[in-house]
Amino acid sequence: MPQSWIVLQPIIILFAGALILPTIEFLGKAVKLEKLRGTVAVIIFGLSLYSALGVYGEVQRQGPLTYFLSPYEPPIGVDFFVDQFSIFMALIFCLLGLLISIYSIKYMEDDTGLDKYYSLLMTLVAGLVGISFAGDLFNLFIFWEVMSLSSYALVAFKKYRWEAIEASFKYLIMSTIGSLTALYAISVLYGLAGTLNISQLASIIPTLETYPPQLPYFIIATIIVGFGVTASIVPFHFWLPDAHPAAPSGISAMLSGVVIKAGVYAIARVLFSIFIPTAFNFGTTLILFGIITITVANFMALLQRDIKRLLAYSSIVNIGYIIFGFGVGAYALNFYGVGGYSIAALAIMGAIFHVFNHAVGKGLLFLGAGSFIHEVGTRDLMELEGVGKKMPWTGVSFSIGLLTLAGVPPLSGFWSKLFIILAGYAVLGNSFMIITTSIVVLNSIFAAAYYLWLMQRVMLRDPKPKAKGVHEVPILMVIPIVILGLITVIVGCWPFEIINFADVAARSLLGLLMG
Amino acid sequence: MSNPDFTLYVVTAILLYIVGLYGIAIRRNMVRTVIGLEIITASVNLNFLAFTLLDPKLLPLAQYFVVVSIVLGAAVASLALMLVIQAYRLYGSTDLRKLNKLKW
Repeated sequence: MPQSWIVLQPIIILFAGALILPTIEFLGKAVKLEKLRGTVAVIIFGLSLYSALGVYGEVQRQGPLTYFLSPYEPPIGVDFFVDQFSIFMALIFCLLGLLISIYSIKYMEDDTGLDKYYSLLMTLVAGLVGISFAGDLFNLFIFWEVMSLSSYALVAFKKYRWEAIEASFKYLIMSTIGSLTALYAISVLYGLAGTLNISQLASIIPTLETYPPQLPYFIIATIIVGFGVTASIVPFHFWLPDAHPAAPSGISAMLSGVVIKAGVYAIARVLFSIFIPTAFNFGTTLILFGIITITVANFMALLQRDIKRLLAYSSIVNIGYIIFGFGVGAYALNFYGVGGYSIAALAIMGAIFHVFNHAVGKGLLFLGAGSFIHEVGTRDLMELEGVGKKMPWTGVSFSIGLLTLAGVPPLSGFWSKLFIILAGYAVLGNSFMIITTSIVVLNSIFAAAYYLWLMQRVMLRDPKPKAKGVHEVPILMVIPIVILGLITVIVGCWPFEIINFADVAARSLLGLLMG
Repeated sequence: MSNPDFTLYVVTAILLYIVGLYGIAIRRNMVRTVIGLEIITASVNLNFLAFTLLDPKLLPLAQYFVVVSIVLGAAVASLALMLVIQAYRLYGSTDLRKLNKLKW
């Protein structure tokens, strides 16, 4: 596989940016240019997106890239591995990072300590990109902790408010237990195989004789539980509805849009690359977790009066779809053997495509909700009624976001749900799959109902007294929202490029195991 | 898997993990919760080292993992203790039962 140091570029740019930003703040104060830090942050995020696109170009030309810090070859050194799935995730992370940094310039204007805010946002994105580029599990764990630490700190950013502190503490405790559980699984894997390099583990684990023979299933369960806490699969989701609303809106968009996807990425990467689904049956577990997640979170979302809590629960619902999609892929491969390859590719393609759609859609919704809160000053849905009429650009984009997550046909969210459900029904003559997929379809309709209810409330009702005097937010806050809305519409009408990309990513994830 | 020391260490690691979880679940003091997390970190580190008894070739890399994991654990603990101090300033207490305003 080709060696290339350019895979390090986005990570280095972001870490360097995080280091130089406090200096920039200092310089900006000296020359009375307070706005300097925001501009520099946007430039750094732009550079990271540009370099990630460069890596994408290399991956397109040469196939998967690897890089290790010489002279220590794997399994000893720090190892990076970038295939289409990694770069797909990394591009989403960098894109959302750029848009949120633009949004934060105006949204966070009145806060103090903004150099630290942008620095933490950069280390957060660097950790996310590092997770998707990591080539061995311990390296993945290090970037995982970088990401988690940045997000704990960002949730507690408004540290003078009790809500932020309480939510952040809850998030920190639960998420750390989760990552330590995953590290425990990694330690057992290391003991069994003597290496943590993913491609070496992939060749060792499926043929390994263990005592007791159920040991690999123990590791699979620990991995799902450990990374599942960050992915907020249902029995481990309690931190999410607290942490996401308590953070500043830009960070809510980041957490809901991409951080929980890192958990899904880690589960998918470890399970599909190391524990081959044809050898181990973990599809059933993932499917069950998926439908429990979707059902419980849907009911909880219905009870909310706080707009950000409702959106947070809807994030859990969408994680359920993604986990379900990966589960169908694994189940089909286990059920049909190698014959299930095409169904598995369809299901995983749908899941990966849904990662993109949900990142864009939920980013859009949280930024939109942030704009409403910025203007009206409350998160209560009853008082936000009709605010969309007063803020046409934000309101229309917000509605597009709701429609795409509801799965209305011309928008992008429709396609990914369709692929996941089609793949579920494509496993023929299997009542388990038919029942679970039908539950997903029913939930999907149920979810569409409350998205439309929310849209009717925000867009169509007459404005409440608090929402009467509001105006459209500043242009810098409108731009990211409108861009995300346009991406949704364009991808919905012309999904073929992204579908191709997601398909290659899915095949790359499965191709590792097909040799 | 015949080495008796190995069994002892692995069982101790699992017990420590359970002790840490128990501490987080039962204790109502925020500082004790953080201590529970540190106990779990110690259990995982011990587990890494326990496997090196079976095969000494694993030792160098396992030591590297444990050192890095200790550093990460210290970072998490310092952030957690910062939150404890801030919670004490806002609530005047480190009792977790007082931090129950967020529900469902």
